[in-house]
Amino acid sequence: MNLLEVKNLKTYFHSDAGVNKAVDDISFTIPKGKTVCIVGESGSGKSITSLSIMGLIDAPGKIEGGEIIFDGVDFLKLSEKQMRSVRGRDVSMIFQEPMSSLNPSYTVGYQIDEALRLHQKHLSKSERFDKVVESLELVGIPYPKEKYREYPFKLSGGQRQRVMIAIAMACEPKLLIADEPTTALDVTIQAQVLELMNKLQKEKGTSILFITHDLGVVSKVADEVIVMYKGHIVEKASAKELFTDPRHPYTQALLHSIPTPGVTKRKSKLATVDDSVDYLSFPKEIR
Amino acid sequence: MSEIVFEIKNLKKHYEINMGLFSKPKIIKALDGISFNVKKGEILSIVGESGCGKSTTAKLMLKIEEPTSGDILFEGKDITKLEGDELREYRKKVQIIFQDPYSSLNPRWKVGQIIGEPLILNTDMSDKEIKERVLYLMDKVGMLPEWYERYPHQFSGGQRQRIGIARALALNPEVIVCDEPVSALDVSIQAQVLNLLLELQEEFNLTYIFISHDLSVVEHISDRIVVMYFGEIVECDTVDTIFDNPQHDYTKKLINAIPIIN
Repeated sequence: MNLLEVKNLKTYFHSDAGVNKAVDDISFTIPKGKTVCIVGESGSGKSITSLSIMGLIDAPGKIEGGEIIFDGVDFLKLSEKQMRSVRGRDVSMIFQEPMSSLNPSYTVGYQIDEALRLHQKHLSKSERFDKVVESLELVGIPYPKEKYREYPFKLSGGQRQRVMIAIAMACEPKLLIADEPTTALDVTIQAQVLELMNKLQKEKGTSILFITHDLGVVSKVADEVIVMYKGHIVEKASAKELFTDPRHPYTQALLHSIPTPGVTKRKSKLATVDDSVDYLSFPKEIR
Repeated sequence: MSEIVFEIKNLKKHYEINMGLFSKPKIIKALDGISFNVKKGEILSIVGESGCGKSTTAKLMLKIEEPTSGDILFEGKDITKLEGDELREYRKKVQIIFQDPYSSLNPRWKVGQIIGEPLILNTDMSDKEIKERVLYLMDKVGMLPEWYERYPHQFSGGQRQRIGIARALALNPEVIVCDEPVSALDVSIQAQVLNLLLELQEEFNLTYIFISHDLSVVEHISDRIVVMYFGEIVECDTVDTIFDNPQHDYTKKLINAIPIIN
């Protein structure tokens, strides 16, 4: 059963220099309760894809065509007001920079509470307080009642990202979009955050769209993988298929360019993505 | 191979943080008595998480900051006591490649000027000789001669990092400190820069001190590894021992946390 269906999405950016086709005719689906990863290098269009789903594309960017069908509703046909009630309730997002995406002048608790104030108006103040404390507890923040009144600067990077997750999960969205959520974190903290997301997904049945350039992380979290290159999808596969049998030349080059402990010979020459090869000339959307 | 270029003994760096008029200043022990050697021609990596003191170590070795106590011996001489010509000589021999190729290059300068600046400041080469040397360096790092007149903004991150590498090579250094040289780059570009660093090391018989938090990269490139944790060295050994038979609990935890494709 698919929660989200993206069909022929085109997001273009217009400037005096011409049209930049950041996302050019891509289609994919996200099944209920599964994690789909989009991988690609800078400029491949992976972040623009997620912003298009959230309805956060501003001029000079424009969604030129396609459908984004979420639970039977086409997001592209909704008004801005209707989209606002969707964001944070049905679909929410966590960003890469936990340092800059929290408001420094409000307490942690207030910022988690904001999502509930906006979307769950039937709750009383004390009910909301209990829910916030519960969500802090759920993401593994010690002393949740005390931390409710702390400001973001007092928390470490890993804790801030946990708070971001708590905000995103406050209304128990059906879809969580995570754009490079662990890139700014240390490896040991990254492992904890990935484990937390996995745990929340199991408990709440959330679907996750996970955007990253780190194939190591993909291998830990993904059920399905979408490989993007210059605005196109070049390969779609289950995580297992992609890593054991990559079919597209670009995917192969990408996989071989990462040194893998225990596999790649130390100090050997690494494969590179060859600038002179036009990877789009190969058949697209293999599988 | 066994000749020692750097000997670091019981190095400490403490920072005082002023807590206000009536409070005692707080002391942050960024480095708390670390000792290790760097051998000629090796790639020694320093790994650890944010705040463990790896960049502080690099700053002290480059003499950007002075240690609180302890010795840094370069070819037998204590660098904290170097002055005048001797210091200038030291600065030529030990160069650095920075993490962020976007902010470490002067946007108003042309590539040729950026790479040639160390030669103007430190040698008495003529303009023509400098240009020849710059073009030679550009060729070595895989840049085309016609890029001499271009500005940094006309290049991608990977190409910019090549400019930084050419500049670091300009004065024929013996040691290059690479401070997270690939962590700002895409994986495919990262592979190109790592290949280049390994080629150059062989050709010019360089010694690298490679600072990184990416253990997959470190495993690929290093001969020996120093693992740091809260200002102390927890383990220092060959790449084989660190990865195949780590002794310290923290090293084990760090290695287990790497997401590896299997």
